[in-house]
Amino acid sequence: MGLTWYLGVDVIAIVLATVLGAWWLLRHRAAGTRAQRLLEDRLRFETLLSGLFAQLVHVETGGLDAALEGALRQMVTFLGVDRGNLDEYVEGAPGIRVSWTAPGIEKLPSVLAVSEFVWTAETLRRGGIVRFSRAEELPEDAALDRRCYERLGTRSHLSIPLHAGGPMLGVLSFDSVSSQRDWPDDVTNRLLLLSEVFAAALERKRIELSLAERLRFQRLLSDLSARFSGALALDFDDEVHGALRSIVDFLGVDHATLLEFPRAGVPARSWTIGEATDAGHVPWLMLRLREGDVVHVSRLAELPDEAATDRRGCLALGVKSLAAMPLRAGGVVIGGLVFATGFAERGWPHELIEQLSLLGEVVANALAWTNAEREARRLRQELTHIGRVSAMGELTASLAHELNQPLTAILNNAQVAQEYLEADAPDLGELREILSDIVADDQRAADVIHRLRALLKKGALEYVPLNLNDVVDGVARLVRSDMVIRNVPMILDLTQDLPNVCGDRVQLQQVVLNMVLNGAEAMGEPNGRPHALVIRTSRAGAEAVGVAVEDSGTGIDAKDLDRLFEPLYTTKAEGLGMGLAIARTIVDAHGGRLRASNNAGGGATFQFTLPIAAERAR
Amino acid sequence: MMAGAARVFVVDDDASVRKSLGRVITSAGYTVELFASAREFLACPPPTGPCCLVLDVRMPGVTGLDLQKTLAGAVHRVPVVFVTGHGDISMSVTALKGGAVDFLTKPFDKKALLDAIARALAKDTRDLATEARIGNIQARAKLLTARESQVFALVVTGMLNKQIASELGVGEKTVKAHRARVMEKMRAGSVAELVRLADGVGIIVTAA
Repeated sequence: MGLTWYLGVDVIAIVLATVLGAWWLLRHRAAGTRAQRLLEDRLRFETLLSGLFAQLVHVETGGLDAALEGALRQMVTFLGVDRGNLDEYVEGAPGIRVSWTAPGIEKLPSVLAVSEFVWTAETLRRGGIVRFSRAEELPEDAALDRRCYERLGTRSHLSIPLHAGGPMLGVLSFDSVSSQRDWPDDVTNRLLLLSEVFAAALERKRIELSLAERLRFQRLLSDLSARFSGALALDFDDEVHGALRSIVDFLGVDHATLLEFPRAGVPARSWTIGEATDAGHVPWLMLRLREGDVVHVSRLAELPDEAATDRRGCLALGVKSLAAMPLRAGGVVIGGLVFATGFAERGWPHELIEQLSLLGEVVANALAWTNAEREARRLRQELTHIGRVSAMGELTASLAHELNQPLTAILNNAQVAQEYLEADAPDLGELREILSDIVADDQRAADVIHRLRALLKKGALEYVPLNLNDVVDGVARLVRSDMVIRNVPMILDLTQDLPNVCGDRVQLQQVVLNMVLNGAEAMGEPNGRPHALVIRTSRAGAEAVGVAVEDSGTGIDAKDLDRLFEPLYTTKAEGLGMGLAIARTIVDAHGGRLRASNNAGGGATFQFTLPIAAERAR
Repeated sequence: MMAGAARVFVVDDDASVRKSLGRVITSAGYTVELFASAREFLACPPPTGPCCLVLDVRMPGVTGLDLQKTLAGAVHRVPVVFVTGHGDISMSVTALKGGAVDFLTKPFDKKALLDAIARALAKDTRDLATEARIGNIQARAKLLTARESQVFALVVTGMLNKQIASELGVGEKTVKAHRARVMEKMRAGSVAELVRLADGVGIIVTAA
């Protein structure tokens, strides 16, 4: 890592310089024992320093706190003091303290109020160090600090602010409790050197954590995008809940609510993780969201006076702090995202709010997109249905015929049966046979109705594994009479053992029906050429299957070939011009392709291919 | 006419309709023969004795109307009762112009069908009688010599012997003798009767 390497070089240079200096001293000033002791002392410190440096640089981020604690322990032992503390500042949250306290000495309380150490905090903030052998040495305006030090049993103390070229990262401090001690300048200077090692470690931790944080955020964003882009299915609510859940986990909050404000014709909707926040509980917040404001409070006390109802509402819901993002789409506020904590107050640092805004954008886009897509899908389905109804309209005559056949047979049979019953000794065997014929014909009529209704129904899409041969067969049954009336011989050429596709049966039948009716219409009366409509199913390469409808009609004009699938484009006197456009939309939605071409020997072929359904692992 | 002696042919591609039609017609005492297609019907030897055809209009391949056209060329025109599941006006006009007895739209009442069949059979019986009479007259006409045929044709136009003699460039006596032989061979008692017979032979009236 570049930064670590840089810091490493820096510190190694200092260590080298010091060691060289010590060597020089050793050579030239070894005469005095005091000097020698000093020298040894200094060498010990340098050794400790380079040892600590090595430990702190090479440890993984996860083990850094333990390494820091170990370093503090070594320092406390080396200095002969009682407490060593490393207080790390974290924006918007209580600091993190790593400390080492000598056995038998009272530990510092986990939280020290800044308000009790105003002078100390201010001095450190300005970059100065705080050191005293006795609390009395503290200046007059540090009276409060002094009392607090005394209360903690601190007799001598040294605090060094930690920087790494930026804002203060934390404070390194040492307390002497059992005895009083001095902080000579050379010791202080060495500790300043040491503080740089700690500062580097804290900086590294901060950078690595924020990097990890950013990665986590990236993952959250991509997770949300993936969820929403796949959320058009029926489980939209599940996906929204899943998305909210992952945001909640990311933020470490307790409640999250996604609100969609009511629009023309669409009621308000909301999804909640945790405690449901009723909009009525927080009227002020709702107003601010509607106006497009970001609202965040770390404590309920921060809510303004006009939000008294909201404060009561939050209290009732057990909310301790909250943040709310408006959701905008196309410049309009369409809803809001509200997050709340229920167990502890928490800060909403600027960076976090920025992340939340970004999340809000993703969610707003997704919401707007799904709404638009839902509406488009509804319209498409409506249109598809209309297309189906109009195609069926063309079949009215033949379907009447289809129904009339069994009805005729039933009526004939029933009237004969009545006559038989009037005889003195009715032939029961014959009557039984007649009745069973009536039942069979009734079933036949019901089948016609069933097929009709299946195609006319306005149901939700249902993607299921389908065999295209079955789809074609269903259509063939439906149009058989029509083909007889039109005097068009229909030939089925079905490839056996066709792999399944995944699709909606009704919609695919609609496509085939359209192709067949178009083909039959193009054929007109026989005129000497081969006269037949062929419906063919086949494999189309390794990954697709196809249906082709081949007519022996007049073929497609070159000028029509390009525009054939455009909506409202028709060459028929009575056509709406929607049939093929709808058919192509359906095939596209199934991941397939629909195309038309002229046959070499006259007539045209319409065909579509669909991908083979993936085998489900069971 | 005895119902039992009459035969009813049914041509319909729909099996259950065909079978039920068979039942209805049988129950009325007729002899029924069922055919699934026009081709099947045409493959059978031409019917003798009074009969009629109950014919579906819409069938794959040869349709009912096609069959009607084919049958129109035959010596004996079998009366046709059309039945259809899907009738339109132009279709029924074509059928009736082609000599159909009736045009029934499915589903129809048994009575409507049997009435139509009865009418068709009555017509066929009449037609058969007429045909028999015409056949008889034509057999007599075949006995006439060429000259007698000429005289026959002119007599029935109301010409006098003198006019006929001048027309044919022969003597009036000769005409008189031919005329007597025509009356005798055609077994006609009077000129009026001869004119009626000429109707049956048809062709002769136009001779000029």
